[in-house]
Amino acid sequence: MSRTDLIKAGATDSARAAALLDELGDWAAPDLLELLPQSADPDQSLLGLVRLKEADDAVWRPLDGAGRLRLVTVLGASSALTDHLVRRPEQVADLAEAALGDRAAYVDLLRADVGERTGTEARDALRVAYRRRLVQIAAIDTSGSATDLLPRVAEALADLASATLQVALDIATREQDDAADARLSIIAMGKCGARELNYLSDVDVIFAAEPADGVDEAHALEVATRLATEVMRICSEHTGEGTLWQVDAALRPEGNQGPLVRTVRSHQQYYERWAKTWEFQALLKARPVAGDAEVGQAYLEAMQPFVWQASSRDNFVEDVQAMRRRVEDHVPRGEAARQIKLGAGGLRDVEFSMQLLQLVHGRTDDRLRLRSTLAAIDALSRRGYIGRTDAAALDEAYRFLRALEHRIQLSKLRRTHLMPTSEAELRRVGRGLGFRETPEEAVVTRWKETAREVRRLHERIFYRPLLSAVAKLSDDDARLTLEGAQDRLAALGFRDPKGAMRHLEALMSGVSRRAAIQRTLLPVMLPWFASEVDPDQGLLAFRRISDELGGSHWYLKMLRDEGSAAETLARALAKSRYVADLLERAPSAVALVGEAGSLTPIDREAIITAMRAAAARQDDDEQAIVGLRSTRRTELIRIALADLSGTIGLDEVEIALTDLTAATLHVALEVAIRSVEAGLDRPFATDIAIIGMGRLGGREVGYASDADVMFVHRPRDGADVADAQADAEAAIAFLRKHLSSSGPDPVLGVDADLRPEGKAGPIVRTFDSYAAYYERWSEGWEAQALLRATPVAGDAQLGADFIELINPLRWPEGGIPEQAVRQIRTLKARMEAERIPRGGDKRTHFKLGIGGLADVEWTVQLTQLQHAHAVPELRRTGTATTLQVMADHGLISQEDADQLRDSWTLATRLRNASVLWRGRPVDALPSDLHDANGIARVLGSPVGTGHQLSERYLRAARKARKVVDRVFYGVVADNGWDRNPTRR
Amino acid sequence: MDRQQEFVLRTIEERDIRFVRVWFTDVLGTLKSVAVAPAELEGAFAEGIGFDGSSIEGLARVYESDMLVRPDASTFQVLPWRGERPGTARMFADIRLPDGTPSNADPRNVLQRALSRAAEQGLTFYTHPEIEFYLFEEQLGPNGQPIPVDNAGFFDHVPRGAAHDFRRAAISMLETMGISVEFSHHESGPGQNEIDLRYADALSTADNIMTFRTVVKEVALERGIFASFMPKPLALQPGSGMHTHVSLFDGDTNAFFEAGAPYQLSRTARRFIAGVLKHAPEMSAVTNQWVNSYKRLWGGAEAPAHVCWGHNNRSAMVRIPMYKPMKRQATRVEIRSLDPACNPYLAYAVILAAGMKGIEGEYDLPPEAEDDVWGLTDRERRAMGIDPLPASLDHAIHLMEESELMAETLGEHVFEFFLRNKKAEWAAYREQVTPFELEQYLDRL
Repeated sequence: MSRTDLIKAGATDSARAAALLDELGDWAAPDLLELLPQSADPDQSLLGLVRLKEADDAVWRPLDGAGRLRLVTVLGASSALTDHLVRRPEQVADLAEAALGDRAAYVDLLRADVGERTGTEARDALRVAYRRRLVQIAAIDTSGSATDLLPRVAEALADLASATLQVALDIATREQDDAADARLSIIAMGKCGARELNYLSDVDVIFAAEPADGVDEAHALEVATRLATEVMRICSEHTGEGTLWQVDAALRPEGNQGPLVRTVRSHQQYYERWAKTWEFQALLKARPVAGDAEVGQAYLEAMQPFVWQASSRDNFVEDVQAMRRRVEDHVPRGEAARQIKLGAGGLRDVEFSMQLLQLVHGRTDDRLRLRSTLAAIDALSRRGYIGRTDAAALDEAYRFLRALEHRIQLSKLRRTHLMPTSEAELRRVGRGLGFRETPEEAVVTRWKETAREVRRLHERIFYRPLLSAVAKLSDDDARLTLEGAQDRLAALGFRDPKGAMRHLEALMSGVSRRAAIQRTLLPVMLPWFASEVDPDQGLLAFRRISDELGGSHWYLKMLRDEGSAAETLARALAKSRYVADLLERAPSAVALVGEAGSLTPIDREAIITAMRAAAARQDDDEQAIVGLRSTRRTELIRIALADLSGTIGLDEVEIALTDLTAATLHVALEVAIRSVEAGLDRPFATDIAIIGMGRLGGREVGYASDADVMFVHRPRDGADVADAQADAEAAIAFLRKHLSSSGPDPVLGVDADLRPEGKAGPIVRTFDSYAAYYERWSEGWEAQALLRATPVAGDAQLGADFIELINPLRWPEGGIPEQAVRQIRTLKARMEAERIPRGGDKRTHFKLGIGGLADVEWTVQLTQLQHAHAVPELRRTGTATTLQVMADHGLISQEDADQLRDSWTLATRLRNASVLWRGRPVDALPSDLHDANGIARVLGSPVGTGHQLSERYLRAARKARKVVDRVFYGVVADNGWDRNPTRR
Repeated sequence: MDRQQEFVLRTIEERDIRFVRVWFTDVLGTLKSVAVAPAELEGAFAEGIGFDGSSIEGLARVYESDMLVRPDASTFQVLPWRGERPGTARMFADIRLPDGTPSNADPRNVLQRALSRAAEQGLTFYTHPEIEFYLFEEQLGPNGQPIPVDNAGFFDHVPRGAAHDFRRAAISMLETMGISVEFSHHESGPGQNEIDLRYADALSTADNIMTFRTVVKEVALERGIFASFMPKPLALQPGSGMHTHVSLFDGDTNAFFEAGAPYQLSRTARRFIAGVLKHAPEMSAVTNQWVNSYKRLWGGAEAPAHVCWGHNNRSAMVRIPMYKPMKRQATRVEIRSLDPACNPYLAYAVILAAGMKGIEGEYDLPPEAEDDVWGLTDRERRAMGIDPLPASLDHAIHLMEESELMAETLGEHVFEFFLRNKKAEWAAYREQVTPFELEQYLDRL
């Protein structure tokens, strides 16, 4: 064989290979031209042959062609098995005749090798006998097609492991005098139970035992526990011949805390009472493999009903979702990119999905009650639960991933599920899987493609058959019955599966182009609905919007073609009744989700322009208001969508909503003036400005905030003051009436209660009247309401003059006097006692509750009244930003400021989220858990974490309250710490 | 319906049981009982029994006023003390929200949460309580004072003593109800008894304590005497404590044991103790929850009123029992401040949380107290760094109120309720005009 031949055969170091070939001489060499190219690693095969020849040069000649191929390929694929054969060259001889056996065959073979030995001898013999059969399985595997042989190889590996457990039990039984008192059965779980074991992994087992006739149960269990412990030790301990594998009994009831062995009845009792969903999922794979067959059978019969009723348990869906998340969370970050088993699109993905479908549909269809993954794929496809093509693709992907895992493990016989990093290793694995051109790259490419394919198939397999149940998507598809589809919808989180089926039917039925597009959209969109808190609402809203827009060309096109449009829409509808309601009333606004950059709020000037244009399109002034209100609705949808999709944070939401309210007031005031002026026989007599108070003035508006304002006007030059007052009042009446009348868009309440003299005072005053009123003032606390005043609409000059007027009042020179401080504190304390609405809880009320919004805001405002004269940065209208200024200037500790801000921000976000979730304002923590889930989800928490919401808020509020007690009320903390209790 | 539930229904029929009592515990540790007729039981298993939580101490609405008690069929026991036929039985129940999630306000759930936080670190919490109580004559004395049933001393065997009979009856009844008893003897006060429950995980122990208190009271009543777990019923006699031995297990190994370390205590054990000591003042309102509890704590002698630990030091709050060779699984520490009138679920939860905090925060164990701490002056103790426990419930409330650890462990709901309730108790106590005041002041002032 020349060096060129060697390179052609796949050797990488041809010089060294040639040297090795020389060493072999005519031993084996003549066959190698044909054999080496079939090896995963020809260099390693050659080296192995040289070592083998040194160990025993008689082994080659008796081998026939098949035997030689097996030897050469197994040497190439596994350095660990090469080492074994070099130590045990006598095992080479039977490679040729070996076949893949079953459990019974392996039990006979292992028993023959181990004989009646006990003690260390028996353990050594078992290890040698086990490897002898393992080499044979590997040799058959490596000399054929890895993916074709995979199911048989995996079965043989499981059967060999099962037989090993049996022989280990034989040994333990021989070593214990009273072994006959217990009837022990070893139940294989996991991959061994499913007969799809890989080359090296822990073997999961559960032990069940019954007393022999006439034996006391407690004694029998003690004997059985000794036997079981010994079996585990026989397999796992290190002897002169190394170790086999770990036997893991952690899947047993109560895990590692529970007794190692239980009776069948005791197992049953545990599953009746305590078991969690994942434990039932684990039972799916249970199979007695060693020990007393009758006990094993009894165990199996007792356990099966649990498995198949699991999907009707409470919280099955939540449990399954939580399990999934846990699996994903457990992948160490550094490994995620190399994980074959646990990563996205990995083996676990396939196994988990199949098990879930088995549990859901196996309750009513006993032909799905199978253990192995490949068998489950086949049965699910045959019985119509998943599509044929999808099933075939999944089968292929799974075989490939498993074969890949096998090849990687085989090399060093290590328990690993990670893609190797070294080029040599990748090359060996690649060639082992049949790649010949740049195998080290090809195998990685193929693996990544497969993982992607698995992820894609995952969604298809779950959702597509659902849709095929109502509308035949293609001939290939699954034939899920209506009942089957409902079971699956329920398992995916739909609370009204029948209703969901009706919506799907309505969307997809018919021959129209629209139905055809929906048939391609829904399989993709359904998972998004299903992964939010209220999939039913989402699907219903989607149906209504689609009914409305059905014919519009742009709509379906947008959903089909525009990147994330369909996802944004589906999630928003399933998360937010507010958005669903608005969109149902204004379906054309759906277009927002499809425009690039459209989920960024637009600024005040741009909104004003758009509103003016909308108003100008109408002749009638009332219609003009309707026009600007519909512009407002569109902007609300935009802001809510941006909020829900997480593209903007709380600050931006508040600013956007403030701008929107201000713009609405501004343009509405223009229309109002125009409308009043049209009815006059003289020009409008005054200029009006609107001053934002409260959250509006502080640029902290929420979805449900009213516009808190004060109106001020200033008669135009030469105008009659009485006319001016009449005009201003008329314009304001028009504005308030038309903004707060109910219509197809949310109303905007305009609340002027913070004006001087409150409801008793005139709704609007002249600038001079304000000046005169404020002149008379002596009460420092009245300035508090003015702290947040900012001009937001109307005449800009007048607004600015008004602010000039009030600045000395709200930021008084020298700060407010002590007496005013006491007055403010008293007022606040009285409000706390009186203001919580009847039936409300003072701990959960966002605004007035303990540590709530008012607590924080009053604390900030008191500081401003006291210190704004000295610290100009305090002269601002917001709450959160002012807190930071207070901390920066040492008026409060940073920690206190943080605690106040946490509570204030959380309460504010909860209020906003509540509106988005329920579509209407909510004042307190939800009393309903479903609401809590929905609100938590809007806040960005995972589905199903609502029960943590109240704990989280109450904690933040309690801490804030402590700060308020100290900073606002001036209470000196007294910890009651009596350090001299005995007075001695 | 599962087989356990079927078994319960069958038993009820066979043994002619007319009432089933469903037991749960309120935030203050009082056993609550809902009677269910056998006919309603099937529904109760399936859906739970709805009740208005706002009527029970501390169970007020977290999410809904209507909550569910769902009986746990595995705790079914025929009550032995109510005569033979027709019989009465009981089951413990968990408190659930309408959707089946556990209620934050259920003390059992508080302990379960604390246990699962420890379980995340691979640790299981075991406890072994020594419960003291007094037996009194049914009739109170002329001045309303209780009269002990005998005048024996520690470990005395009183011939045909009421207490001896009583203990035998109580123990046999406890064993009938599946609660193993380790030890029982006569304590040092007249009429005072102690019964020890066997080592078990903290949740089972807490359940057993609840049953225990009921059984002891029932047995006493049957014999025409009464039992009290009040921490300090007699001013001049020792109070009743509930010394609890605790340990942590990591799988099957005792995480408190380390061969060769001082007192064979592992680093985990030392940090655990340090945590319990450091947080003892703030958890005092839970471990010693009544006005009367502080009269026991400050009663001198073996009452542990000072935050310190010692080896076989009976004046220390935490005592390290003598290590017995080859008994590594038995390595444990004894916490002596608890009294038997606590809510055992909450008390064990806060002790575990404090100990875990010590482990996680890697607290250093202060030096051992070798003296009888009662023999020292306040100043000496301060110099040695030994803090007192709170001197009254009022002090304990103040300290608890400032404690994040207590809020986190109990959960915001129970934390707030507990404080509110205890403040009300203190206020009611303070309103009293006591015999002490009348004696001291009435004539003189």
